[in-house]
Amino acid sequence: MRTNSVAPGAAYLAAQEALTARLNEKYLTDRKVDLDKLNEPVIWAKNPTDAKMLVKSFRIDPAFAMDFLSDITAYDNVDQVDGDQRFVLVYQLYSVTKHVRVRIKCLLGEHEQAETLTDLWPGANWLEREVFDMFGITFRGHPNLRRIMMDERFSGHPLRKEYPIKQREPFRDNIRFHLGANPLEVSTDIKDGPATEPTELAKELYRPQGEK
Amino acid sequence: MAVNIQDDHKLNDFYNPNVLINLGPSHPAMHGTLRVMCRVNGETIEDANCEIGYLHRGIEKLGEDKTYHQWMVYTDRLNYCSALNNNMAYAMAVENIMNITITDRCMWIRMICMELSRIIDHIICVAINALDLGAMTVFWLLYHWREEAYTMIESMCGMRLTTTYARIGGLSYDLPDNFVARMEKFCKEFPKALEEVEGLLTSNRIWIDRTKGVGIINAADAMKYSITGPCLRAAGVDVDLRRDRPYYAYTDVDFDVVVGSNGDVYDRYLIRLEEMKQSTRILQQCIRKLPAGPIFVDDKRVNIPDKLEVYTKMEVLIHHFKIFMEGVKVPPGEAYTCVEGPNGELGFYIVSRGGPKAWRMRVKSPSFMLFQGFEASVKGGKIPDAVAHLGSVNIIAGELDR
Repeated sequence: MRTNSVAPGAAYLAAQEALTARLNEKYLTDRKVDLDKLNEPVIWAKNPTDAKMLVKSFRIDPAFAMDFLSDITAYDNVDQVDGDQRFVLVYQLYSVTKHVRVRIKCLLGEHEQAETLTDLWPGANWLEREVFDMFGITFRGHPNLRRIMMDERFSGHPLRKEYPIKQREPFRDNIRFHLGANPLEVSTDIKDGPATEPTELAKELYRPQGEK
Repeated sequence: MAVNIQDDHKLNDFYNPNVLINLGPSHPAMHGTLRVMCRVNGETIEDANCEIGYLHRGIEKLGEDKTYHQWMVYTDRLNYCSALNNNMAYAMAVENIMNITITDRCMWIRMICMELSRIIDHIICVAINALDLGAMTVFWLLYHWREEAYTMIESMCGMRLTTTYARIGGLSYDLPDNFVARMEKFCKEFPKALEEVEGLLTSNRIWIDRTKGVGIINAADAMKYSITGPCLRAAGVDVDLRRDRPYYAYTDVDFDVVVGSNGDVYDRYLIRLEEMKQSTRILQQCIRKLPAGPIFVDDKRVNIPDKLEVYTKMEVLIHHFKIFMEGVKVPPGEAYTCVEGPNGELGFYIVSRGGPKAWRMRVKSPSFMLFQGFEASVKGGKIPDAVAHLGSVNIIAGELDR
């Protein structure tokens, strides 16, 4: 079968197959390996510590030589298709020398902590911050875990399924700050509840769509 | 937040070398809405902290709310300098999950689109970088060809910047009649403009002084910060997904992967210049090999019916309605599809639970990693060098913040 993202006669395909074979042979003990739509292996780690252990061993193992961190992301597993935990954490690894990819997945409970990869790749820093910002997953040992896309005063985590798509969170200083009426009062507490109550004027200006 | 009185005193002290300067987020040299907070000593940046999110539009969240076809328009707004490339990469990602093989003609047209958008993106980067450093002639020279390229794109799909040219399983329109002749002319004349630019910059003393040894990202750092694309190649790492993990028909065209050695602004400029030439080479081969045939795959799940039939036949009208109102039904599964975008690896990680909407739509954007690497490598340089550095890594805010 020929798909678009694999040119006929691509040289890396043999390496990718060898990787899957070795994965099945060496890493399969009480772990599960899936193949995705492109026949690339997806290995399920048992827990966050195991996920990091897998990342480390793929990095050292000469058969993999996973020296490049492509991506860290997550998705909401609230419908429990992939297991009984709330989130799935996803690591995408790539080998610059062997041109092969592997994906490590790990189920995470709502209040479970993941392990940081910043000690292996400093580039994991922002990726983990984004996962924290969007899903609320925290990483043990991360040097600077704070929001990256959203404002510091924002509450909630937008990519969780329960977060409504048209939710708006006006901040108090939106209007008043510019009028100079009140000194800025910034709450840095992002964990619980809306940080600031929207003013009447802000409510007027930032009314959600479709509301009269 | 409590401020240490002693620190506060230090910051207000005129003779204190530690001055805080805020570059951006709205500054012409910051290429969009990037913000770098610097602690400077004289003109040397001693510490830097980058802040992003000023252009965050929740594109990934929207990907879970819109159907696959509707979300196509959002890919234009990722890297808006190379919208075509994003369209094609996204269409490819969805097709991978649906297990669709597109027609040969469609595949070659998509390759033309990808290379054309790579040229445009590199033109913008080189021209603006030169403009930031005061070389205005280069800007006018190159932007003429950017206009030419955009005019060609306009003739393909009716849009210039936000193209939305791809459809799942094909393209919105076939190429116009005079396209091949126009492209031949472009491929013949554009390299001459590049030679002129080379004559103006490559051995120019001022340009070399401003760019050589400036903004160095070496190979080890580039790997640590997961930097991809021209910036990684400029550091001397030989990686190009078009060659290493070929997609479409990249095995059938000849091109060279350009690799630098120092990883400074000058190397990145040279790499981009040479890549434009290689892309022109690929374009020439593409129009020579462009096969005839249909542009849309013969697959009932995605095939957009002919307009004439929609207006005259009942069943076709229903089919059209179902595709656009309900969306394309995508089976459950997942795939990570990436292409070598102009700035590096552009990946779409789609998790589908079945149905017309994605469960998770992840965009792995090269700019995100580039800006993180920028934060690390800008320290120790001068403020004007930071501007040169930023221009040469070509961070696009739309893709950075998503």
